Amino acid sequence: MSNSVAENIANFLKEYSPFSYLSHDELIQVTTSIGVINLDKHKILFQIDDKLHDSFYVVASGVINLSVIADAEETLLNKCYAGDVFGLRPFFAKNNYMMTAKAREDSIVYAIPITVFKPFVAQNPQVLDFLLESFATNTRNPFDKENRGKLITDNVYTEGQQNEIQYFQSLAYNKTPLKVSVSAIAKDTAQLMTENLTDNVVVTEQSHPIGIVTDSDFRSKIANGRFPLISTIDKIMSSPVITVPENVSVAEAQLLMLKNNVSHLCVTVDGSDKSEVKGVISEHDLIVAQANNPGVLIKEIKRSLSPKELKLVREKLTDLIQSSIAKNIPLPHIYNISGEIITAIIKRSIELSILDLGSPPARFAWFSIGSQGRKEQFLLTDQDSFLIFEDVAEEKYRDVKDYFLKLAKRTTTILEKVGYDFCPNGHMASNMLWCKSMSDWIKQYNNWMKTPGEKSNDISSIFFDYELVFGEGKIEDTLDDLILKNTKNNALFFDYLGNDALRKNAPINFFRKFNLEEEGDHKGKFDIKNRAIMPLVDGARLFAISLNLKGINNTYLRFKQLAIVDPKFSEIYLNCADAFLILSKFRTLEGLKNDSNGDYINVEELSKVDKEKMKNAFAPMKELEELIKDKFQLTQFS
Amino acid sequence: MIDWIKKINKEYPDFWKLYLAKFESKSNRYVVLSTETTGLNPKKDVILSFGAVAVVNDVIRIGDNFEVVILQYKYLHDNGLSNEFLIESKLSKLAEPQAIQALVDYIGNAVLVGHRIHFDIEMINDVLEKMDCGKLKNEALDVEIMHQKLLDITNKSFSLEDLVKHYKLPLNERNSASDDAYSIALLFVKLKARLGFK
Repeated sequence: MSNSVAENIANFLKEYSPFSYLSHDELIQVTTSIGVINLDKHKILFQIDDKLHDSFYVVASGVINLSVIADAEETLLNKCYAGDVFGLRPFFAKNNYMMTAKAREDSIVYAIPITVFKPFVAQNPQVLDFLLESFATNTRNPFDKENRGKLITDNVYTEGQQNEIQYFQSLAYNKTPLKVSVSAIAKDTAQLMTENLTDNVVVTEQSHPIGIVTDSDFRSKIANGRFPLISTIDKIMSSPVITVPENVSVAEAQLLMLKNNVSHLCVTVDGSDKSEVKGVISEHDLIVAQANNPGVLIKEIKRSLSPKELKLVREKLTDLIQSSIAKNIPLPHIYNISGEIITAIIKRSIELSILDLGSPPARFAWFSIGSQGRKEQFLLTDQDSFLIFEDVAEEKYRDVKDYFLKLAKRTTTILEKVGYDFCPNGHMASNMLWCKSMSDWIKQYNNWMKTPGEKSNDISSIFFDYELVFGEGKIEDTLDDLILKNTKNNALFFDYLGNDALRKNAPINFFRKFNLEEEGDHKGKFDIKNRAIMPLVDGARLFAISLNLKGINNTYLRFKQLAIVDPKFSEIYLNCADAFLILSKFRTLEGLKNDSNGDYINVEELSKVDKEKMKNAFAPMKELEELIKDKFQLTQFS
Repeated sequence: MIDWIKKINKEYPDFWKLYLAKFESKSNRYVVLSTETTGLNPKKDVILSFGAVAVVNDVIRIGDNFEVVILQYKYLHDNGLSNEFLIESKLSKLAEPQAIQALVDYIGNAVLVGHRIHFDIEMINDVLEKMDCGKLKNEALDVEIMHQKLLDITNKSFSLEDLVKHYKLPLNERNSASDDAYSIALLFVKLKARLGFK
């Protein structure tokens, strides 16, 4: 009897490990025994401590979240997409499930009976390897996108444990330390260290460590004249040296350093000072070992050679942001760090493009605008940018413009691969309109500011939140000066901006109910971006430009700064600053939760306290609006 | 009443007696059935193929399936239609009475599920009549009606395609009765869960 549905499923599965290792006939055998399960959103397939099912699962469509619950808090372990295998526990263990599998959206999964699949595992070592690997990988694997459809870990590590594991990993250190004998002369030793660019040297006797000399020893013993330059090294070394065995963990090393108040540890074969020196661990090694720290991420970005690598870093950044928010690190601080990292990613993308295209024919500057220009970007939103190149001779103009357009196209494509969507309004340097020479840009800004609303209605106030990412600082200065010059006695411009800021729809109605979207894809949700955050952003920009705050683009910092330069209304500004942080946090949490840009919030999912908190955050907006109306006589465009 | 008299007077074929005997117990099995026909008139048109898959405990059992192409050479010839699809199809092929018998054996006392299932049943009953059997006794559920009930709409009809799109189910190429049956099965388990009946 034929079975075309089984054939179809076999054709789907053969694209994914471990099914790709099976022959077609074997696959048909498997698929004819499959059960297809429909899971509506939020439906649980199995949860912690459930009895093991007699099947394991493959995602056919939708997304399944694997999570554990620790301390009454749900921690996401993994997201499974189409083709991912999960629920492998019954293969290897007899005890109950250790995690919860829950549909994040409407999903369909295939249940493959263990008894049917087991023979293939036994016959086919590759299949066994794959399953074992999936089951036993010790790391939580969200970064392992390279292996998508291959590895889904089935082990349980909560976020906390994850950090601990990192903490207990063995660390990389200098395995070829500089060594000198006891009789070495201090001056020679210092020279040797300088040549080798290290800050420490191990003093050995028959290759056993008896002491260590570091920069600080030279400072505290030689440079202040206590010992002459020609003393032997044993006079100034710190002894005994603290020794550790190989494979010491980060935690242990850190404890030893604290306990003994030293900055270096000496690694020996058996961990005592009576064996051979194997290396030196410095404090710096410990810092580097705490992966996912911003410094390391930036380093990784600088080394990246492909969009893929950059994408991995961007994903780590998401993790970093998530854990930072969980740890209640102040939002402005996170803004700063993530802003720097994203800037580094964009910079690297431009560098990669330049590597491909050859060096640019003229000086230029690449600006980020919009949220990244304001350094308020956490989530993967769309990219906004523009490019200015210096004025060149007329006959060269076409080639130069051509080059920069190509450069911009390449760069925006790389960024798209990293995960930043193209701007739907085309506000990107790859757009002919926004990749222009300096003099064209001057004309552009003059147009915008002197005759606002005349030529094009979308003057895009985002062009006033720019940040130099790459290229000539002088170009940025020119732009700053230009804007400053144009703002003087330019009531019309502020009139326009002011109206623009006020045009947004109110977040809550007369009855203090949220104004939800009435139609479209996001029906019933609250548009936090346009109704709550943008008015604050626009307001901050308006005041920042009018009061000539240069070089501060971040909305939060703008309000803070405004409170200082315009003390009369400082209370309103400070309230707005706080409101902005609160609303941004809501948006970020929503975005992280749903892998979206967080623009739309499902109000029903909020707790009562959160709802009130959010509504209270709308109050300063009203005050800000009044202030705008008061300060700028808005007449022309109202 | 008339059925009952017939039953006394007429000797049914063996497979039909077996089929009737199955209804002594109740089934928890659903058979999702899709029928491909030459048209919409039960009197004139004929069945070209069946595709069916079973659902037990809300799980679609891929292995518990039925698909067959019916050799309607005579009908196709009489109506000047091409029989290419019969020749090319890789599915098992049976003559009409054998196909219906196989189907009846397969469905047993299960609850039938389909999209506009009553038309399918009517088509099958017509053939059964020719074979001196009674009518199908199975209960039947229609995904279109289930959907209408869920949305509380009665004045609008929904094609299978509409339903698949509405529930954002994966679109397959849908070129055979089996593919349709699978789509209906996915719809059915979804609707069943949403309507909350056992």
